[in-house]
Amino acid sequence: MWAFLKKDILVLLRDRTELAVLLLMPFILIVILGFSLRGLLMGDTEALNMQVALVQHDDEQAGIEQFTGELEAAAVPDQAAEQLEAAAGQVSPSSLLQSVLSSPELEEMLDVMELDEEAARQALQNEEVTAILTIPEDFTLLALRNMLLGEGPGSELELTVADTTSTRANVFQDILTDFTRSLNFETAVARAAAAEGGAISAESPAVQLGGVETVSAREPVNSFQYYTLGMAVMFVLFVSSTIAGKANVERQQHVFNRILLTNRHPFVYLSGKVLSSALISFCQLFVLFLFSTIVLQAFEWNSLEFWLGMAGISAVLAVCVGALAALLTSLTMRFNSDAIVTVFAGGIVTILAFLGGSFIPVSEMPGFLQAFGDWTPNGASMTAYLSWIQERDMTRVMDPLSRVGGTAVVLIAGSLLLFPTRGGD
Amino acid sequence: MLETEELTKVFKSKAAVDGVSLYLDKGESVGLLGPNGAGKSTTISMISTLSKPTTGDVRLDGRSVVKDPGKMRKVLGVVPQEIALYEDLSAYENLQFFGRIYGLSGSRLEQAIQQALELVGLKERQKEIVKTYSGGMQRRINIAAAMMHEPELIIMDEPTVGIDPQSRSHILEMVRQLNKEKGLTVLYTSHYMEEVERLCDRVYIMDHGTIIASGTKDELKSILSGEETIWIELDRPYPELFAELAAHPEIVQAAETEKGIKLIIPKGKRILGSIFQSAERHQAQILNVNVQTPTLEDVFLHLTGRKLRD
Ligand SMILES: Nc1ncnc2c1ncn2[C@@H]1O[C@H](COP(=O)(O)OP(=O)(O)OP(=O)(O)O)[C@@H](O)[C@H]1O
Ligand SMILES: [Mg+2]
Repeated sequence: MWAFLKKDILVLLRDRTELAVLLLMPFILIVILGFSLRGLLMGDTEALNMQVALVQHDDEQAGIEQFTGELEAAAVPDQAAEQLEAAAGQVSPSSLLQSVLSSPELEEMLDVMELDEEAARQALQNEEVTAILTIPEDFTLLALRNMLLGEGPGSELELTVADTTSTRANVFQDILTDFTRSLNFETAVARAAAAEGGAISAESPAVQLGGVETVSAREPVNSFQYYTLGMAVMFVLFVSSTIAGKANVERQQHVFNRILLTNRHPFVYLSGKVLSSALISFCQLFVLFLFSTIVLQAFEWNSLEFWLGMAGISAVLAVCVGALAALLTSLTMRFNSDAIVTVFAGGIVTILAFLGGSFIPVSEMPGFLQAFGDWTPNGASMTAYLSWIQERDMTRVMDPLSRVGGTAVVLIAGSLLLFPTRGGD
Repeated sequence: MLETEELTKVFKSKAAVDGVSLYLDKGESVGLLGPNGAGKSTTISMISTLSKPTTGDVRLDGRSVVKDPGKMRKVLGVVPQEIALYEDLSAYENLQFFGRIYGLSGSRLEQAIQQALELVGLKERQKEIVKTYSGGMQRRINIAAAMMHEPELIIMDEPTVGIDPQSRSHILEMVRQLNKEKGLTVLYTSHYMEEVERLCDRVYIMDHGTIIASGTKDELKSILSGEETIWIELDRPYPELFAELAAHPEIVQAAETEKGIKLIIPKGKRILGSIFQSAERHQAQILNVNVQTPTLEDVFLHLTGRKLRD
């Protein structure tokens, strides 16, 4: 088996063009796609550059005044009323929202302009803005009533977007959801504080709101990271067709007959293919990740845990590529033709890569395609990598990774079944 | 040691090999002779277990190798007609790989590699990449690769096609040594008569998938004992003259060669005179006339009416 492994690797190493395609092409594509498609992904905040129209129906000052007036009129104890009035000034949701939207973190990606209702609708139609945020009438008053007194239904922000699937709109919605969630939390704290008669700390609200990090619970992925993974899981598939292509050369040049004559079990020959492809795939993935880390700073380099996780996922993917190489080899030998390898490298890889999200994020695709992508080895490992990068939680990685491993087992079984024990007729 | 029984291989209803029965005794050197497309390689691939006979059987020491190819593969070394080597690897790396998968390792492997290289005379250039070798050198490594596991029986399929005379005589000498000194059983395929005449004790002549003659060299030549070969050298081809001679009632066979015409005639017939007359009529210039004792080439010509190489 080691003899086969050594030979396969030597043969590939001597083929400079093939090596260049396997190693340089993906890197070039990462750079090109990474630069040109920046902005499709959440991590590239500076490139999101979102225009948002703000339609203001609320009069904050009047709302606060009315709220304090109501407090005085009602039978609220004086001390409590004073505290609530002070709180009203501090937690006024309208001000908080404004300060979130103009916070330095969001400033880079958000461009908020105040328009009237009609102008905003026009702008949305003309795609000058991605979304309209409408602050309804009496927003401040209703919100304060609900927040501080626990009375009434509160109020709702209204978000209008042209395209609900666009990443930008989703990001913005995330920001708002996060804002209201934090606000509700603050409200609960404030109410508890008021009830106990304690003071509300002046700096408590709003400070942590709206940072990019809190847009999503996940770490954002930037386009270089994304396309490094996308191209890596795509080009790793070419290792299998390359190895099967070399097997076809063995057949054409009759070396394969010579191997048959040694009476080695096909299992040994095929495991050579599996092992060499796996080893080459693993090295290819490693080199790509390393490149991207050094040249594009796509990944952090100083976390052992991170790299161990990446290595683990890569190892499973590499074995699956080995299994794929074995299957392609078996088919080539059985049908005495490399047509299947040509079709695989010339079409199937691209389809798999597309389904697996190598070119555009799976989340941008229709649902049924996403399901297909989840079952491709490249798509599943892409999910595993992304999940590891964002969440650092191996238990979340296991699910897609087990699909990759399962696929490998099925492919190896298939290749053993199909392998011929005599030469071609 | 080895025998085939009515070996037949049909490709898409066309029989490439049709009922071939032959045998090899231990230590013998046997030639399989035939023109292009005769079915030599197909016969060999069935004998060497690489393809299954449509009908018929191959026996090694009395046991069918069709059912159990393992036994045959162990004692057999095959030198295929094509260069079956990794052309991106060096000669050494090729031999190392094939030695390894035959189960050799360590010093035994190293020894086997060096022995094989010595045998084919390429010890000094073993580290060079195969595709940079000349055709003759590639052929030699092709042979060396078949010798790694010290086979008892070696089958060579046209091991000398398309190579320089020097490599060719090296290979022929090598095969002779393996057979005579090391006692290897050899099945040697060729369409070069002189190679088979020089190397082989017995010869099978094959054409259109069947064996048309077999026996020792002398037995085969005695087919022609009643005939002789006349070779006429001409300054250029004369198709009309050839046609006339081919139709001559006393001439058994006529063939056009590169420089003239070859005729097989019954011994003792005096027809040189009429040949000269024909030549005169076609204004052909005769440069040389030669009456020869028959070769295997002539035997083939006699049997098929064709030359071995077209
Ligand atoms: N795989 C195949 N499929 C169909 N026909 C085949 C196949 N292999 C060989 N043949 C045919 O069988 C016949 C015998 O071929 P074979 O290669 O055995 O001849 P050969 O005697 O070795 O000739 P050569 O001296 O050219 O090597 C030829 O007519 C060839 O076209
Ligand atoms: Mg042949």
